Amino acid sequence: MTKIPTLKEMVYAAGKPERLVWIILSILIVVSLVASPLFSGLDNLRNVFLIQPVGLGLAALGQTFIVLAGGIDLSVGSVISLLTSLAAGIFQKYPLMHPLLMVAIMLGLGAAIGAVNGIIVARLRVTPFMATLAMMLIYQGLALFYAKRTIGGIPRSFRFIAEGSVLGVPMSIVLFGFIIALCHIVLVRHRFGAKVLAVGSDPNVSALSGIDVGRTRFLSYLFGGMLFSCAAIFLAARMGGGGPKVGVGYDLDSITAIVIGGVSLSGGTGNVLGAFGGVLIISVFYNLMNLLSLNSFLQILLKGLILIVAVAFTSCKKQG
Amino acid sequence: MSKDVAEGNVLELTGITKRFPGVLALDTVDMVFRKGEVHALVGENGAGKSTLMKILSGVYQADSGTILFSGGSVVFRNPSQAQDAGIAIIFQEFSLIRTFTVAENVFLNREPSGLAGFKDMRTARKETGNLLREIGFDLDPDARIEDLTVVQQQVVEIVKALSITATVLIMDEPSAALTDKELKNLFGIIRVLKARGVTIIYISHMLQEIFEIADRATVMKDGETIGTKNICETTKEELIRMMVGREIKDFFPASVRTRKEELLSVSGLRKGRKLDGVDFSLHAGEILGIAGMAGSGQTDLAKALFGVEAADSGEIKVLGKTLNIKSVRQAIGAGIGYISEDRKNYGILGPMAVRVNITVADLGRFLRGGVLSGKKEREEANKKIGELGIKVAGMNQRADTLSGGNQQKMLIARWLLKKPRIFIIVEPTRGIDVGAKTEIYRIMRALVESGSGILMVSSDLPEVIGISDRILVMRSGRIEGIIDQSGGLTTEERIMSLAVGHDYSFSEGIPS
Ligand SMILES: Nc1ncnc2c1ncn2[C@@H]1O[C@H](COP(=O)(O)OP(=O)(O)OP(=O)(O)O)[C@@H](O)[C@H]1O
Ligand SMILES: [Mg+2]
Repeated sequence: MTKIPTLKEMVYAAGKPERLVWIILSILIVVSLVASPLFSGLDNLRNVFLIQPVGLGLAALGQTFIVLAGGIDLSVGSVISLLTSLAAGIFQKYPLMHPLLMVAIMLGLGAAIGAVNGIIVARLRVTPFMATLAMMLIYQGLALFYAKRTIGGIPRSFRFIAEGSVLGVPMSIVLFGFIIALCHIVLVRHRFGAKVLAVGSDPNVSALSGIDVGRTRFLSYLFGGMLFSCAAIFLAARMGGGGPKVGVGYDLDSITAIVIGGVSLSGGTGNVLGAFGGVLIISVFYNLMNLLSLNSFLQILLKGLILIVAVAFTSCKKQG
Repeated sequence: MSKDVAEGNVLELTGITKRFPGVLALDTVDMVFRKGEVHALVGENGAGKSTLMKILSGVYQADSGTILFSGGSVVFRNPSQAQDAGIAIIFQEFSLIRTFTVAENVFLNREPSGLAGFKDMRTARKETGNLLREIGFDLDPDARIEDLTVVQQQVVEIVKALSITATVLIMDEPSAALTDKELKNLFGIIRVLKARGVTIIYISHMLQEIFEIADRATVMKDGETIGTKNICETTKEELIRMMVGREIKDFFPASVRTRKEELLSVSGLRKGRKLDGVDFSLHAGEILGIAGMAGSGQTDLAKALFGVEAADSGEIKVLGKTLNIKSVRQAIGAGIGYISEDRKNYGILGPMAVRVNITVADLGRFLRGGVLSGKKEREEANKKIGELGIKVAGMNQRADTLSGGNQQKMLIARWLLKKPRIFIIVEPTRGIDVGAKTEIYRIMRALVESGSGILMVSSDLPEVIGISDRILVMRSGRIEGIIDQSGGLTTEERIMSLAVGHDYSFSEGIPS
């Protein structure tokens, strides 16, 4: 008697669910290699794997911590817009400011923005979705108020963060690699990571174990906000400027990426490396769409499809 | 000068009061716990036992009253503070993170950590392993909770509490999810701890357990303390009278023995190594008890019949029609109802009203032209709340704020409303107080008299003997014998002999 395998059995046949994201990525790369000869060009590969994933990757890392703790942040995009605008604006006023001071200011602002989101969610108990939807509008409004359009004027010294290299390795990759490693270690080895995962898995049980659920949620937003500011720093450095449109799309893309990467939107399951895999998938996907010069409506439509497939896979993994 | 507990005491509670919306859960409770005693806490479902323990362990704070704890008056703002002070607790409700491993749960929020807050999981794993070995449980510290059985999960809860160096260890119905084997182990641990001077507060509805392990027992009723008795100077009957305020007669309702048509017939049912060719039939009008040592296939049989974990082979006939039950939906469609033993995790819609929890499985009945008739739904829910004596502030109380036993009654009410023809019920009265037990037996009886058949899996032998018309005894996945009780009640020895496969009266005592 032959049996038609269920979706779940097929997932298991493909290996551990954690590997799924890498399997999808490999398939996507093979498809890209076949579909477009331009894909394998050295400049293109550099762009797809070393440059594009950094900004989205940093945003996705922040999103990962927030989602793992049981929240969500829809304001990433406008936070990035606001912060890059501020960076460019401040540099225009004080062109001689030391780049490290600017980095510190950005990180501080990111932390402050994360703290505001965190307080609204954890203390005022507004649902994360509504809270960050509202904050998205507020930050976008502030960004538009501050900078009507894209402003340049980021000095070379600051642009080194994205454009420079040490010993032949691009600076951005050095920093990004360091941050990924740090996030990974914090999540799996640090007590904070354990609390984030516990609270996201089951807030009631966490509270019974003495974990301060509100504080953990708050800290996840704070930490997330700082990672969003890292994304803003990198993007400002790469573009040499900032503006109220810079972050458009980062909210949905960061969520899509981590969900594809196996981070459960209901919190508690997922890891940093999977999320990074999801970011690479999005990056390759956008690149392929561009190389094939597909219509933008088709791009959006396909992205939606990928998202559904990914979520279906992860949810059937869960039922297993 | 600050006050301290009297010589020989470890904990003194005075005037503890706690009010929840609509209920006075604790009404000026006074209680004294001595150093190194096993102190049982008993009382009906909703009497306030767990609430009091949650105040002691920092989950809730009392509205008024004082807690003296060796050294002076204390108020615990959160569970960590209570732990640090030396009060550990095994909660009645589920309190493990399902996606975490055993070791991660045991040390949750107390991870051994070194530099800058980084966890030292190697130590945590090692210590978990040591603890498990020390107390004689065979469990992998790296296993994930969601892959464990209910019994194993309860073992983890125990280990978690034991990993805290405590002077007071609270156990809120630890036995409700254990088999005899683990329970024996647990009692061994309790004796060791007691010898070390640890005070154990033990909550259970099984009076046998209390008479076996406890030194003293305090009875609570409706949020008040009724009294404390030395175990060696009291009887079960006295405790029951204190608990329910009346004598309980006719614990088990008499069977009218009206075996009617065959509802279910099973032959050659097999499932992995758990079910090894099971044949039996269930008739309308009868309660068929299933007994056996833990893990002999009773629950696997129940799960197979309800499609939770379908059988590999064999035939299941419902009302003469062969059915290939592969899913729960099919089973429900065939008129089968099921209450599992894992009530901590399944079935309760926590944030929803008690009313919804009761009517949800049978909403179709309350439709009037496609619209829910609220009045009828409320009436039915109210009736069941009354019949089962579910203690609620109102039928719109959130389900997860009910006491543990009342949540179970609520689940039973849900299925009773649906009146399944074939009702599989696992451990019907675990965690249910004595008064409500008789009520549940009466309702089970009424249900079969109205034409249903009940398949009851239970590890409580007096219950199996008291309520069953026939008893199937299982051993290693097979049916070892069927005892017909129409000629008179059988004995625990007879069941145990079949269950272990040799004459039981010559081996150790009878666990129950
Ligand atoms: N968080 C809460 N909100 C509202 N009411 C509550 C809450 N917790 C408990 N109660 C109510 O307080 C009363 C006492 O409940 P408690 O859990 O202490 O009973 P119990 O003695 O442990 O019963 P059981 O034997 O069923 O576990 C019940 O009426 C219950 O509904
Ligand atoms: Mg209780």
